[in-house]
Amino acid sequence: MTKRVQLFVTCLVDRFYPGVGHATVAVLERAGVEVTVPADQTCCGQPAFNGGFLDDARAMARYTIDVLSKSADPVVVPSGSCADMIVNHYPELFADDPACQAKARDLAGRTYELSQFLVDVLGITDTGAHPTGRLAYHASCHGLRGLGLRDAPRALLSAAAGDRVADLPDAETCCGFGGLFAIKMPHVSNAMLQSKIEAIESSGADAVVATDVSCLMHIGGGLRRHGTPVRTLHIAEVLAGPDHE
Amino acid sequence: MSTARDRMLAAVRTGLMSAELPDASPERPADLPARAAQTVEAMVTRFTTDLTALTGEVHHAQAITDLADAIAGIAATYSASDYLSWHESALGWPGLIDILTSRGLRRVTYDLPFDQAGRDADVRALAEVGFGLTGSDAAISEGGGIVLVSGPGRGRLASLLPPVHVAIVRTSQLYPSLPDLLAARPDLVDRGSNVTIVAGPSRTADIEMTLTHGVHGPKRVHAILTA
Amino acid sequence: MSDAQPVTFHARVDKALADTALHQALSTTMNRLAANRTNAFAALPDADALRDQARRIRAHTIANLDRYLEQFTAAAERRGCRIHWAESAADAAATVVGIAKTSGVSLAVKSKSMLSEEIELNHALEAAGIRVVETDLGEFVVQIAHDRPSHIIAPIIHRRREDVAALFRDLLGATDADVATIPAMTAFARKTLRHEFINAGMGVSGVNLAVAETGSLCLVTNEGNGRMTTTMPRVHVALLGLERLVPTAGDLAVVLQLLARSATGQAMPVYTNLLTGPRRRGDSPDSRGEPDGPDELHVVIVDNGRSKLLGTELAEILYCVRCGACLNVCPVYRHIGGHAYGGVYPGPVGSVVMPGLEGLHRWAELPQASSLCGACRDVCPVRIDLPRLLLKLRAQAVQGHMAPAWLHAGMKAYSAVATRPMAWKMMGNLVGRLGAGLATHGWLSRLPGPLGAWTESRDFPAPAAKSFTNSWRPKADRKRRS
Repeated sequence: MTKRVQLFVTCLVDRFYPGVGHATVAVLERAGVEVTVPADQTCCGQPAFNGGFLDDARAMARYTIDVLSKSADPVVVPSGSCADMIVNHYPELFADDPACQAKARDLAGRTYELSQFLVDVLGITDTGAHPTGRLAYHASCHGLRGLGLRDAPRALLSAAAGDRVADLPDAETCCGFGGLFAIKMPHVSNAMLQSKIEAIESSGADAVVATDVSCLMHIGGGLRRHGTPVRTLHIAEVLAGPDHE
Repeated sequence: MSTARDRMLAAVRTGLMSAELPDASPERPADLPARAAQTVEAMVTRFTTDLTALTGEVHHAQAITDLADAIAGIAATYSASDYLSWHESALGWPGLIDILTSRGLRRVTYDLPFDQAGRDADVRALAEVGFGLTGSDAAISEGGGIVLVSGPGRGRLASLLPPVHVAIVRTSQLYPSLPDLLAARPDLVDRGSNVTIVAGPSRTADIEMTLTHGVHGPKRVHAILTA
Repeated sequence: MSDAQPVTFHARVDKALADTALHQALSTTMNRLAANRTNAFAALPDADALRDQARRIRAHTIANLDRYLEQFTAAAERRGCRIHWAESAADAAATVVGIAKTSGVSLAVKSKSMLSEEIELNHALEAAGIRVVETDLGEFVVQIAHDRPSHIIAPIIHRRREDVAALFRDLLGATDADVATIPAMTAFARKTLRHEFINAGMGVSGVNLAVAETGSLCLVTNEGNGRMTTTMPRVHVALLGLERLVPTAGDLAVVLQLLARSATGQAMPVYTNLLTGPRRRGDSPDSRGEPDGPDELHVVIVDNGRSKLLGTELAEILYCVRCGACLNVCPVYRHIGGHAYGGVYPGPVGSVVMPGLEGLHRWAELPQASSLCGACRDVCPVRIDLPRLLLKLRAQAVQGHMAPAWLHAGMKAYSAVATRPMAWKMMGNLVGRLGAGLATHGWLSRLPGPLGAWTESRDFPAPAAKSFTNSWRPKADRKRRS
C-alpha cells in the first residue's frame, strides 16, 4: 500500500521559497509516497511563541491542528524548527484545554521533518540525487537540538554527494537568525552571521545546505551582502535535483 | 516575634506551594547502582597516569627504609631540610620520624593558639618550611586524588603551606571515584572538621588561559605508594 | 583604557561587539573549555546516568528545601557552626560586617563567591573600615582594577597579560622581573597574598554545595585559596545561597563527578574541601584536638529573592550548581562577553537568574538576548531547560505589556490573518506583488520601519511571485496537463 502523507509546507517556504515545496513533493513522490497538501494551511505559530505572544501562538496552533487533523495521515514538514514547534511545543500550549491537547499530542506523534521522515520512517538514504559542486551542511538549531536531527540530514547528503561534502567548521553553532532575535538584537545576530560566513568561506564549499529556509535566508542574505559567491540550498532541493518541476 | 529564620523558612514553604519543579520526587532518589570493582593494579595505573598528567610525581616504597629514602630524596631535590608533618601515628609508620631526623631532616611542630596575634606569629614562622609530609585516608584513581582527613596530629597546614607536599598513600585504600569511596566509607565525610581531596599541585589559568602552578597551595605534589 | 560600562544594555552590547580583542580572548577560552568538557564527558562512562541522577537530586532537594535547610542547620550547629539567616542582600552584608566587628577584624581575605558580589559585601566591609582582599587570582586582579568579573569560572577572560602586568606594576609596586612572564606574575601574586592570608582575622568564602545530613560545606578551588581562606584566619564566614544544598554526601559525590568536568573538563578540581564545623578541640584535658583550622565557623544562609523565585514557573533555575558550562557554549555570550549583561550572573543562566531574583522590569532585555539555539541545555549538568525558561520570561514580558507596541499589534494582525484562509491568501498576494516590485534580482536591500534592522547588514529575499500553495497541483492533475 502506498504511504500517504500531508505536506505542511510552512509559511516561509510557501511565500518565499515555493521551489523548496515543489522539491519536497518531488523527493517524496520519487520515494513512492503520495503527497496531499491540506488546503488553508498557514503558519505553525512559532514566531508568536518564541516572542512570548502565547495567545496568538495558541490561535495559530489551534488552527493548524484543525487543518492537519482532518486527515490522520502523517505530516511531513520541510523545516526542523516548524516540526519542532508542532512536536515539542504544541501539546504544552494546551495544558488548560484537554480536548485540544489530545489532538495536539496526536498530531505531534505523526509529524516529521523531511529528512527524519526519509531516513527514520521510510528507511532510505539514497534518493537518486546527483548534486554537483561541494556542499557544506549547516545544522539548524531547533531541528538539531529539539528533534535530535543529527544523523539523518548528513546521511542523505553523504549518499547524494559522497566525498564532495565539505566539512563546515562549527556546523552546529547557531547562525544568528533566532526569529525576532534577528531584528531585536540585530548587531549580535549579524556578528553571529559573520562567524558563520567566515566558516563557510573557509570550508571551500560552493553551496550551504540546511533543513530550514529560515537559517538559509539569513545566511543567504549575509553571503549576498558580503559578496560571497556561495549558494544556499534547502536539503529538499539537493535531493530533488534540478529538473523536478 | 518571628526571627529571620522563621520568616525565611516560611517564605520557602510559601514558594513551594506554587513552585514548578520538573522531575522533583517526594522521596530521595535511589542511589545509582555501584560500578564493577576494579583491581588494585588497574587503580594504581590510573592513579599514576592521572597524577603524573597533573605534574605530580608517583614513587613506590615497600619497607620503612625505602620510604625514608624516598622522602629524603625528595627533600634533597628541593634542598629542603625542615618540614611540617602529621603525627607519626597518623602517618602509620612507627619510627619514621626518627629515621628522617637521622637523615638530617627537622620536623617543625605547631599547635595554633586560639588568639589571633599568637596564631599569626606562629603561621609566619611556618611559612618558610621546605616541605609538608602527610599520610592519607584514601585515594581516588580517576583524577589522581589524595584524601586527607583533619584531626588531632593531622594538621591541614602540612599539605597546604609549604611549596612541596609529600603524601604516603596506601594502595589498599584506593577507590575508583568519589562516589565509590563514599559508598564504602560514609564515615569519612565528617570525621574531621576538614576533609580535603587533593588532585595534584595548586594551579590557575586565570591569565590568558595560561596554566601555572603553585598559586596558593603547593607547587609540587609527590605521592609515595605503599601496600 | 576606559572600563566604565555604558548605561543601557544595547550600548554595552555594541561596545563589546566593537572590541575585537575581547572577542578573540572569549573565543579562544570558550573553545578550549567547551572542548575540554566534551572530552571529559566522553571519557566518563556513566555520564548520562550521572546527569539524570544529579537533576533528580537537585530537584528533590529544592522540592523539600525547608526540610533540608532545617536538617542542615541542626547538623551544622551540632558541630559547632553558628548559623545566621539573611533575608536580603543588605541583611547578609550587615551580618558579615557584624561578625567582623565582634571579632575585632581589620583584614578579611575572600575566596571567590558570586553570592558575595550579589550582596556587595566588599563595599559593606570597606565602609565599616575593614580591608578586604580577594584571593582568587582572577578576582584579585578584578579587585585591584575596580572591575567586575566577566565569567563565572574565568573572571578575567577579558584581560590580557599586559593589562595584569601594568596593574601589578602600577598598583602593587611589582618590578619588571615580577611581571616578565605569567609564571612570574603568579609567583608575585602568591607572595603578596600569602602576607594577607597570614594577617587576616577573617576568611569569607562561598559554598558550592552544602550537605544537609552532616552539616558540611563543600568548597572547590584549583588555586588553594579556598583552603587558605578557610584554614588560616581564626574566623571563617561562609555565604550559602539557600538553594545550594544536597541531602547526603553520596548525593554530593554524584554532583561533584559533573561539576569540574562541566566547568573546565577536569576530572576533579585540585582541591575539594568538605568543612564540617570549626576545628575540633580535644575531648580530654591533655588533647588540644586539631592543631589548625578556624575557631569559629559562621554560615550565613542568604535568600535575596530566592524564595520568591522558588514560587514561580522559573523555579527550575534553582537547580543550577554554577559550573559555567552554559556560558562556554553560548554563541551570544561569545560575542558580547559577561559585562554586557550588566548583572552579577551573565550568559544563559544569568538571563534567567537576574530577572528571576530582581524582577523582569529591571532586566527586560536579557531574556530577549538569545536565539534559543539550545546549546546551553545540551551541556547543563543538571539538564536545566534554559530555552524553556527564557520563553516563560518572554511570555511574562508580553503579559506585562513590555513588548513594543508595533510588535504586539503586528503579531495580533498576523495571527488574525493566519487563522483566516481568505485573508491569508489576500495578504500573500499583496506581499508577493509588493515584493516583486521592490526587489532587484530576487533580493531586497531595504526593509521598512523596525524591519530595517535586518537590512542594515543583510539582504532579504523577495517573496515569490506565486506561493507554493497557489502553484501546487496534485500528481494526477500534473500528469493530465503534461
